[in-house]
Order: sequence, then C-alpha cells, then structure tokens
Amino acid sequence: MSYTTITLTEAQPVANYKMATRIEGGRLLYIAGQVARDADGEVLGKGDIRAQARQVFQNVRNVLQAAGGDLGDLLKITTYITNLDDFPAVAEIRSSFFPGTLPASTLIVVSRLAQPELLIEVEGMAAIG
Amino acid sequence: MDRCDILAENPVEKRRGYMPGVSVEPGRILFTAGMTGRQADGTIIAGGMAAQTQRTMERLQAILQHAGANFSQVIKQLLYITDMEAHTTHGRGVRAAFFGEARPTSTALGVRRLADPAMLVEIELVADLPGDPAGRPLLEKYNVENHGLDFYQGVIVNGGRLIYLAGQVANMPDGAVAGVEDWKGQAEQVYANIGHVLRAAGASPAQAVKETTWVRDIASWRQHGTAVRRAFYEEDYPASTLVEIPGLVRPEFLVEIEVIAAIPR
Repeated sequence: MSYTTITLTEAQPVANYKMATRIEGGRLLYIAGQVARDADGEVLGKGDIRAQARQVFQNVRNVLQAAGGDLGDLLKITTYITNLDDFPAVAEIRSSFFPGTLPASTLIVVSRLAQPELLIEVEGMAAIG
Repeated sequence: MDRCDILAENPVEKRRGYMPGVSVEPGRILFTAGMTGRQADGTIIAGGMAAQTQRTMERLQAILQHAGANFSQVIKQLLYITDMEAHTTHGRGVRAAFFGEARPTSTALGVRRLADPAMLVEIELVADLPGDPAGRPLLEKYNVENHGLDFYQGVIVNGGRLIYLAGQVANMPDGAVAGVEDWKGQAEQVYANIGHVLRAAGASPAQAVKETTWVRDIASWRQHGTAVRRAFYEEDYPASTLVEIPGLVRPEFLVEIEVIAAIPR
C-alpha cells in the first residue's frame, strides 16, 4: 500500500470512509470526473440513479486498472449528485464496490453536471504502486 | 515530470478534450486557487461567459508561468460554472485555445453561485512541475496579483507527502451535529475537526496546500465563517476556492471543507 490511513479519536467520519490518507510512495493518479456515458458518449440509465452509479464506479475502477491499480489505491473520492434524495441508493451501490472502508470522501449536491441527464459524477486521486 | 496519460477501455473522453486519468511522480506539484474573471479593481470583467473564461485562463496562465509551467503540465482542471449552457457555447472554445493539444483530467460542476454573484465561471488547476524538489522549501506559496484576499493564488509542494482530507463537516465525535442552523458554531466545529485531522497526519494548518469550501449560502458564510477561518490559518493561507451549492450529505450541514496538506518526505 502506498498510503497511510490517518486515524484519530477527536473527530470521526459521518459514514464508512477514512478521515484522511497520506501518500507514502508510488505514483499520484488523478482521475477525471466519471459519468455514466457509454463508448459512444451516450448517457446510460437516464433517470435511473442506480444504473448511473454502477456505471460511474465501474468507470472509476476501469481508469484505476488501466493505471495499474484498483479501488483500494484511492486516496480520496468526491461524489457529486444532483439530488440529495438519490444519496441512499448511491451509498448502497458505492459500498458494494468497496470491500472495506471507503477512501477519504466528500459528498456534494451540485446544481447540475455537464449534461442535464447526468445524475452523478465521481472523481478521485490514487497512489499507485 | 514523467507524466503518464491513462486511457481506460472506454475512452469517451478522448474526443472531449480531457483524459480519464493522469499519473505522475509526485515530485513538484502546483495547486492553484479557483480563479475567476476578476479584474485588478475587484470587479468582474464585462462581456459574459467568453470574456470571463478568457480572463480566468489568462490569470491561470500567469500562475503557471510564475512556477515555470504551462498548460501542457496541468494534470487536473476543476470547473465551477453557474450556467452550463453558456459555458458550453461561449466558454469551452476559449478554454480549449489555452490548452491546445494538452489533455488534463477534468471535472465540470454546475453550482449555485460563486464568491461574487456576477461570476459565471471559476477554474482551478493542479499541475506537475518541472525541476528537482531537492533543495527547495516544502511549500512555495505565492501570488501573481496584489488581490488582498485571504488566500494564495498558487502553492507548490516540493517533494512532500500529500495528505488528502475527507470533506469535513460539523459533526462531533458522538455523531451529533454542532450548531444546527448556527453558521458560526458549524464553522468552529469544522475547523476544529480539520485541526485534529491535520495533527493526526503530522501537519499544521500552515501546511494546508489547497482548501475547497462548499457552503449553502455564501453571504452567511462571509458573515460568520470567515473570522473562524482567519483565526485557524493565522495569515498562512492555502490556495482556496469558495462555492455555493444546493446541498450536503445531511440537510443540517451548512458547510463542508476539504483540505489537501503536505508534510516533508
């Protein structure tokens, strides 16, 4: 593992994620915000947050694997959604992708994403190798 | 400076002007503040999205140049946009002209408002700088303009170990929210939490490199949060971005702040 998980008792996360991570080695990978588009650029799962969330986290994993890593190498992710009511479904699907604790994490409700059909976007950084 | 562009199996990003992933040896990394179409006198440049995007990119270019870098060394751009259609029509082309063939990773967010209600776009960058970090100070914080505001426009990390904090909210260790409907109370709890996390990671507030502050209402934050922030950093600010968004993970949360920091290797 190329990073350390920062643990402390004075402050606690509000869900199943790490409070902070610190790079100890390896390469620093930045991942573009991933959205639920297919290879033709079409938005998948219009109106379906679960379908979009699955595609987005799969895309994040694809980028990590293409860089020689995997989800366990993530230092931090930011999940942007357009409707707070979608969060329980997003949290459930997100947890299914991560075997243990999530990386350091931020959840933000934004007014919209690059296209109006997009319901979720996830970006992150990882330490690879 | 041994950048590697990462294309996944599903390279839809290839013709969209950005890369799915970019990896680098974390030797010298520059974080910029979120920049906008602000002019020297504090007003926002006239002319709408195209003019604001042009001005924003020129200011970012100056920050990159100060660090001996250019847009081809940018590994990440984050865009905060109040009118996505206007940006697609009038802003994207302006931005593309600065990047040329360069392809950073990118995220574009529609937000409710930026620091000044006249701002339509704000852009921040992360760049991989040339040069050997050896013999340089851990952090080089600098401005390229005399803006007089409480942040640095660029912060270079020379060979440090980067620390990525989760977005910090006003929760107490027992899970309760400090200061429901109380901006000052939440600001104090958020910065108390950030202080605890930084210390646990071996860092001080002065070693914060980049800060992003997400608030439900910028006017309320300015009234109650800014003083708390000022006391926390004691004049030694990070590069920063302030954005107003419609919601956070729980309706009680008024503010969420994420911080990147660095300590020596």
